[in-house]
Amino acid sequence: MFGLIGHSSSFRDARLKARDLGLEELAEGELDLWCSAPPQLVETFELTSATGQTIQGTYIDSCFVPEMLSRFKTATRKVQNAMELAQKKGINITALGGFTSIIFENFNLAKFQQIRATLLQWERFTTGNTHTAWVICRQVEQNAPRLGIDLTKAKVAVVGATGDIGSAVCRWLSRRTGVAELLLVARQQQRLEDLRQELGGGRVLSLEEALPEADVVVWVASLPQTLSIEAESLRKPCLMIDGGYPKNLDTRVASEHVTVLKGGIVEFVRDIGWQMMEMAEMSNPRRQLFACFAEAMLLEFEGWHTNFSWGRNNITLEAMEQIGAASIRHGFSALGLEPVEAPAIALVA
Amino acid sequence: MASSVLAPTAEEIPDFSTEAYKSAYSRINAIVIEGEQEAYDNYLSLVTLLPDQQESLGQLARMELKHMKGFQACGKNLGVEPDMAFAKTFFAPLHNNFETALAEGKVVSCLVIQALMIEAFAIAAYHIYIPVADPFARKITEGVVKDEYTHLNYGQEWLKARFEDVRGEIEQANKINLPIIRRMLDQVADDAAVLHMEKESLIEDFLIAYQEALMEIGFASRDLARMSAAALVA
Ligand SMILES: NC(=O)C1=CN([C@@H]2O[C@H](COP(=O)(O)OP(=O)(O)OC[C@H]3O[C@@H](n4cnc5c(N)ncnc54)[C@H](OP(=O)(O)O)[C@@H]3O)[C@@H](O)[C@H]2O)C=CC1
Ligand SMILES: [Fe+2]
Ligand SMILES: [Fe+2]
Repeated sequence: MFGLIGHSSSFRDARLKARDLGLEELAEGELDLWCSAPPQLVETFELTSATGQTIQGTYIDSCFVPEMLSRFKTATRKVQNAMELAQKKGINITALGGFTSIIFENFNLAKFQQIRATLLQWERFTTGNTHTAWVICRQVEQNAPRLGIDLTKAKVAVVGATGDIGSAVCRWLSRRTGVAELLLVARQQQRLEDLRQELGGGRVLSLEEALPEADVVVWVASLPQTLSIEAESLRKPCLMIDGGYPKNLDTRVASEHVTVLKGGIVEFVRDIGWQMMEMAEMSNPRRQLFACFAEAMLLEFEGWHTNFSWGRNNITLEAMEQIGAASIRHGFSALGLEPVEAPAIALVA
Repeated sequence: MASSVLAPTAEEIPDFSTEAYKSAYSRINAIVIEGEQEAYDNYLSLVTLLPDQQESLGQLARMELKHMKGFQACGKNLGVEPDMAFAKTFFAPLHNNFETALAEGKVVSCLVIQALMIEAFAIAAYHIYIPVADPFARKITEGVVKDEYTHLNYGQEWLKARFEDVRGEIEQANKINLPIIRRMLDQVADDAAVLHMEKESLIEDFLIAYQEALMEIGFASRDLARMSAAALVA
């Protein structure tokens, strides 16, 4: 059994979801009420790999919403309680989706292993970031050429470059893909400088400086709100891969020469018998899902019951290759711009 | 960076010697003592409805009596006189519902009130109290909370074994009594805050223990959210 810990992308969405489930009191409740809501086991479902192997999974909603980020204790409890529930249910490997892993890292929750009567076993959890980083890189490699962007000549901006996913993406794009230049964007300068040293290249720029120069922009910043930017100031063509959850980028930026692709999303070969992805606004919710969730599925398929992605800045190119090979083997593909008839792209004309 | 609720730093430990702390403690300590006393009475009364369970129920009751004495010692240790009159009023609505169910021979309702709700309430409160308690009380409470899990488990297993027959009455007892639990949580919130116990996490922890029991008994996850909504709405 694998598990997925997720949350709504906003308080508004969480209320809508509650209404859909017939929970009027919750739907009408204020944020304070949600701060006291315990994690919920939403559903259990089956999944069959391209190899024919079938596994079972459980989705847990932590009842966290990004509006709780400023409430340290609340956000902490949401993550710890959801993890405790997953472990108590005997789940082998659970992905910490969306802000779950970011809260875990930023609030240093590895220090607090004892939750009530449960001693959390870290090897039962994964951030899913290795697979997410691999998928995002693949999305860059597969889709830039389709827009006529030659990556060996292209400048790729990574917004959130020093993050766990961002730094892995930078490593891969510079060593494996061989992009012409990386533009590194984040707020803390020292970490940017350290990353640049490690990569042996790249330019540290502010977001405003980087955007007009970039042929490809990878968004992997942990922003609780989406940003609006001016399409006119961007290069033509420009590929934007938005890996944030919630989205880092307002999709209204999409125009004739700016293509926005949902980042860190995979499509599975078969329908999955679940409901929850409809809430995450996937265009094909029976088959599309977050790459971090898919990582838990891959670890269960392979029997790699270990915290494959853990901590910060530990993602190696070898691990990305390993999870990438498993991803292909079991029937996942990175969301792309084609085929055109499938409504798989977040393109707003 | 601030620290977790589950492992507070020194600054989060209250000053046990202030008048404000002692005043709040006189009510909270009384509630706990009264709660343990009533738990003792309730388990013993249940023997009249479940004669074959005399031994187990007697065992649970004895543990509750031990808990009560432990908490009386905690009050003494801080030089606080528990306000027992306040605690009796605090428990009255739930106590009356238990007595009514007992008189009507409704063993399921009695178990929902005592073994699920009151035990889950106690587990939540003790868990949140332990990190901010004085060293004497912490030790006692740590021992108590382990016992309370076995009590919750007792009710849970009894109801689980008869799930199809008892689910209707569990839902009914839930509907009648959960709003009372919520009002009790609201009433105790200000005093609990003085002890550095937050209402937000008290409600959450109560629901975690309560929902887990309901799930074990046989309710589906959808039922849980619906059944526990009353605890979230003031
Ligand atoms: N699709 C999927 O399956 C998954 C998606 N995600 C999403 O990917 C994103 C990144 O995750 P992860 O790498 O774990 O996060 P991290 O917290 O490790 O990294 C976040 C990065 O964003 C930077 N950042 C934060 N705020 C800003 C800002 N205002 N402007 C510029 N840079 C900023 C941080 O640097 P600094 O603080 O110095 O600014 C850091 O480089 C998140 O949105 C997450 O939800 C995560 C997992 C899976
Ligand atoms: Fe007790
Ligand atoms: Fe008890």
